[in-house]
Amino acid sequence: MSFDVLFNQFLSGIARGALLFLVASGLSLTFGVLRVLNFAHGSLYMLGAFLAYSIWQRLLIPVVGFYLATLISALIMAGIGLLIEYYILRRLYSRGWPEQLLATYALILIITDIVKWFWGGEFLSIPRPKPFTGAVSIFGFPFPSYNFFIILLGVALVVFLWWLIYKTRLGDIIRAAAHDRDMVSALGIPIPWLFTCIFVLGAFIAGLSGAATAPYGAIALGMDIDIIIECFAVVVIGGMGSLPGTLLGSLIVGQVYSFGIMYKPELALAFIFMVMAIVLIIRPWGFFGRPER
Amino acid sequence: MGKVQTEEKKNWLKRGWWLFLLIALGLIAPQVISEFYLLILGEALIMSLFALSFNLLFGTMGQLPFGQAAFYGLGGYGMAMLLTKYQANFWISFAAGIGVAALIGLLVGLFCVRLRGIYFSILTLAFGQLIFVIIYKWHDFTGGDDGIQGVFPPEFLKDPVAYYYFILIIFCLSALILWRIIHSPFGYTLQAMRENSERTEFLGIPIARYMLMAFVISAAFTGLAGALWAPFYRSVAPSTLMWVKSGEPVMATILGGAGLFFGPVLGTFLLTFIHAYLLGFTHFWPIIMGVLILLVIFLLPGGILGFIKEKWDNRQKQNQKP
Repeated sequence: MSFDVLFNQFLSGIARGALLFLVASGLSLTFGVLRVLNFAHGSLYMLGAFLAYSIWQRLLIPVVGFYLATLISALIMAGIGLLIEYYILRRLYSRGWPEQLLATYALILIITDIVKWFWGGEFLSIPRPKPFTGAVSIFGFPFPSYNFFIILLGVALVVFLWWLIYKTRLGDIIRAAAHDRDMVSALGIPIPWLFTCIFVLGAFIAGLSGAATAPYGAIALGMDIDIIIECFAVVVIGGMGSLPGTLLGSLIVGQVYSFGIMYKPELALAFIFMVMAIVLIIRPWGFFGRPER
Repeated sequence: MGKVQTEEKKNWLKRGWWLFLLIALGLIAPQVISEFYLLILGEALIMSLFALSFNLLFGTMGQLPFGQAAFYGLGGYGMAMLLTKYQANFWISFAAGIGVAALIGLLVGLFCVRLRGIYFSILTLAFGQLIFVIIYKWHDFTGGDDGIQGVFPPEFLKDPVAYYYFILIIFCLSALILWRIIHSPFGYTLQAMRENSERTEFLGIPIARYMLMAFVISAAFTGLAGALWAPFYRSVAPSTLMWVKSGEPVMATILGGAGLFFGPVLGTFLLTFIHAYLLGFTHFWPIIMGVLILLVIFLLPGGILGFIKEKWDNRQKQNQKP
């Protein structure tokens, strides 16, 4: 196997990892603070993609249309996230996590049917936007330049989240709440308000990532579960609720997927689970996670 | 002492009358309802067995597995492949289905019992999807998305009514065994682990080993449900292993009430019959199901049966007071 092939595969893996980070970071952030595993995070991502399609179609603005649609779709998803947190999750914080998990599972069913209702079951797609339409030649292999957009977006999100969590006052509160919720509340910080903020941010990221993947391939029913399963692998490997862990997990899963596809396409997903199993044997709570009971 | 026991026995008879009534209803059902509803009833019984074995881990042990459909599908595939590909005897295939599910359950369980709570759920889901992907993509061996057709029961069970009775007998026996397991020292240990795993560990109980045993038992009974399903439906498809299928016993159990033995059965019957009814005029049943789940979670925290039992207990208490 020559170096150029491997390097090409490595780059694809980075792009895949960036995409996974886009989705998994929202999931991990929500879990880190709210301690709610949002099963429906993938469905928010899917809804974001479908919304972006419809908005893009109506805007009819050439170059910036897609970027504008992505932003609007993410904002709409943030609004939907607000409704979900305020009307559903807020009532369940005092309950056990199985009920919370089941509530988000119910949301998957509801969102899937809503998508089916509005958009039907067909495959949709948005053409790749300028300036990421073509392919770049790397060592003589064509590499879709849209991958660079995804990588850029992923890097931007890493920087933004790092800044938010480690450099701002809200970040201090987020880290403190993840550590000891009652203490933060005792210090006079309104926890419900914080939870709403975080869930809305998570939904925004889900919408953004869904819209950003729209030009990749098909927007279709079922894309939610495909991604959420891989994201679970990411957060299990990296450690739930940890930003560096999610980044590391995304990069690992991205590479495993990319090289797995090269080796045996139909077993790419199986390789991811094998890596996950190995990590779990060594560190059951993931690389950056905390042991929990 | 003797008097207390006879009184307990009487009490049990008093409380158990509805059980006999239900079994009697199950026995005369083929004479009363149409063949369509008899099929739905058979499906409800199979899914109830699935939900009961799920609840051994959830209600009794306090861990929520989200990949049980894999064992359900493995039970079906194990029996169907032996029966159609290797022309094995029906009963051997049937047993093989259970065996395959239990064996893979042991393998998966070895990893999963290292984790608790939400991590346990995620890992079981991931393994469930892994098994699904392998069966779905391994076209040469499993038939891929075509599934396996022509899974026929033996001659004397080919009649729908006969097969229904077969399901009923297997269901009653399995439910009885699961009841005995839950009310055995082993079952009480599982409940102790649910209430306080740290204290249970301090008593010298090897938690992981007990979890693994429960996991394998649950996988075996889930596999049994799958092995019952394949000849009932005359085929198996990869969709029986998907995460959606894993969600069904979870929904049914929380709907009916996880804290009571028959909660999952009530939930499954409700879901199965509502589904069958709704499919008659709408394809949008998931949204109705989703809203229904949310309503039950909000309004009836202990599930439907849990709610009824609470009301009943309150009334008993009030009657005793004066």
